[in-house]
Amino acid sequence: MDWSTIIDIGLKLVAITVAFTVVLLIVAYTVLAERRVLALIQGRLGPNRVGFGGSLQPFADLLKFILKEDIVPDKSTRFVYFLAPVIATMAALMTMIVYPFGPEINVPFIHVTIPLVIARFDVALLYVLGVTSVGVYGIALAGWSSNNKYSLMGGLRSSAQMISYELALGLSLIGVILQAGTLDLQRIVELQSRAHGAGWFIFWLQPLGFIIYLISAIAETNRVPFDLPEAETELVAGFHTEYSAMKFALFFMAEYINMFTVSMLATTLFLGGWNVPFAEDLFGRGTLLFGLVSAIGFLVKVCFFLFVYIWLRGTLPRFRFDQLMNFGWKFLLPLALVNIFITATLLFFNVL
Amino acid sequence: MLALLFILFAGMAIGCAIAVVAQRNPLYSAISLIGVFLSLACLYVMLAAPFIAAVQVIVYAGAIMVLVVFVIMLLNVDQEERRRPHLAFLVPAAIVLAAVLIGEVAFILSSVQLYPHTPTTNISDIGLTASIGAGLFTTYLLPFEITSILLLMAIVGAMTLARQTMIPSASTRIVPGAQLLALNIIDPKVPLDDTTTVLTHTTAEAERVLGIVHDHESAPRE
Repeated sequence: MDWSTIIDIGLKLVAITVAFTVVLLIVAYTVLAERRVLALIQGRLGPNRVGFGGSLQPFADLLKFILKEDIVPDKSTRFVYFLAPVIATMAALMTMIVYPFGPEINVPFIHVTIPLVIARFDVALLYVLGVTSVGVYGIALAGWSSNNKYSLMGGLRSSAQMISYELALGLSLIGVILQAGTLDLQRIVELQSRAHGAGWFIFWLQPLGFIIYLISAIAETNRVPFDLPEAETELVAGFHTEYSAMKFALFFMAEYINMFTVSMLATTLFLGGWNVPFAEDLFGRGTLLFGLVSAIGFLVKVCFFLFVYIWLRGTLPRFRFDQLMNFGWKFLLPLALVNIFITATLLFFNVL
Repeated sequence: MLALLFILFAGMAIGCAIAVVAQRNPLYSAISLIGVFLSLACLYVMLAAPFIAAVQVIVYAGAIMVLVVFVIMLLNVDQEERRRPHLAFLVPAAIVLAAVLIGEVAFILSSVQLYPHTPTTNISDIGLTASIGAGLFTTYLLPFEITSILLLMAIVGAMTLARQTMIPSASTRIVPGAQLLALNIIDPKVPLDDTTTVLTHTTAEAERVLGIVHDHESAPRE
């Protein structure tokens, strides 16, 4: 092993640590933002006592979760009971490495080009789909191992919902893949930089794909209006009824990290990733300022999607389970196939 | 470096495979099998086949094993009891088959040593998604379409087996707890395999609808 490999591995580890910390902080503040925004929608104030405007609330919550009593049901299957939140959180965090946060930056004094993505490989989009499929296990095993009928029902309903909407999710991404011709996420973002950085896929050719993707993504992450498996009034608390303290915090975090991941994927594929309109003309390719503005633009778009999630939670009622499954199989899946058909036809006649 | 990674992933695969067979709880066996598939996916990546690795995770670990885990969870398959196996007659067969397996592996290793093939330094392009897609839709189009039809047949077969035979129309009222009883219970003169269906609320109403008249001299049923 020579030094350049070791330096590469070291840099990647540093990048992963930084991304991990940033993701956890953003998720913590998403929880706070959800409580405040939901409260304002519902005509009340959210938590605003701890810190300035409630900004230290996530740390208070973290302290509470760490110090709470850890209750383990007696008749549960111990190994699987402890494994389930680990699988859920691991699958949620593993997709973080493929998203491009910004363009390639030429660092001025060292003359090194740094791409702002942790891992760039050929099958990035398939990797994301694969890791999302493995994330279903966390919920199914959690529901079963609690030895509780409500948890089992919640876990099974949630897993059935997730594997049904994974189909529509995957099919809606095929339109983007057809148009881009590659599975590499950095390349897909670079292809959306036509028209001065405004040639995003949502405008040119995939509005239907975007809507299908958004609905499937909300169903994948078990959010309102698809949150029957974890609704408080329905199944006590669904699959995480018997989890307390830190393990519940892991599930909670896994749900919000999933939301964040799905928002990043939507931004990368449909909203142009780090492309900010007219930024390249103003700052020039490869400069540090261009990189910074692009990364901030990426963050703004992701936060917009998180806001849409919270907005939907405050506005819509939830689906009944059979309505949910009908909607996924009988409406979204044919619509996604129609989208592929239209995209392929337009590509064949060289309209794109 | 590569050798270290190979030993790690192969060790994980072998360990999880032994766990699949040696575990008593069937759910632990299923989880170990998922571990085997994930290790195999890592080995595929090391062999420059990233598409196969991703598809292995998506299809095998993400869909087929979810189905197996559902079945185990829903059917409440219990742990095996630990009892002494009475399989002593299989030991000679096991020794012979193990010797055959070792012989085959020794043959492969020795012929690899005898006829070395210098590996090319470039990573091949065969494993990339574009190459697989191009081959699948041009040279191997017929096997691909036949495989799709095979899967379609499996789905249609499953749906046919699981179909309900009596589907009530939208205007029938279904009483909770109601059962389908043979007509022979109300009218003993009817043969046992008469499958007339009438949806009513009480036995008396069913008798009236079907026009069954009881003669009161017959012996009361137990």
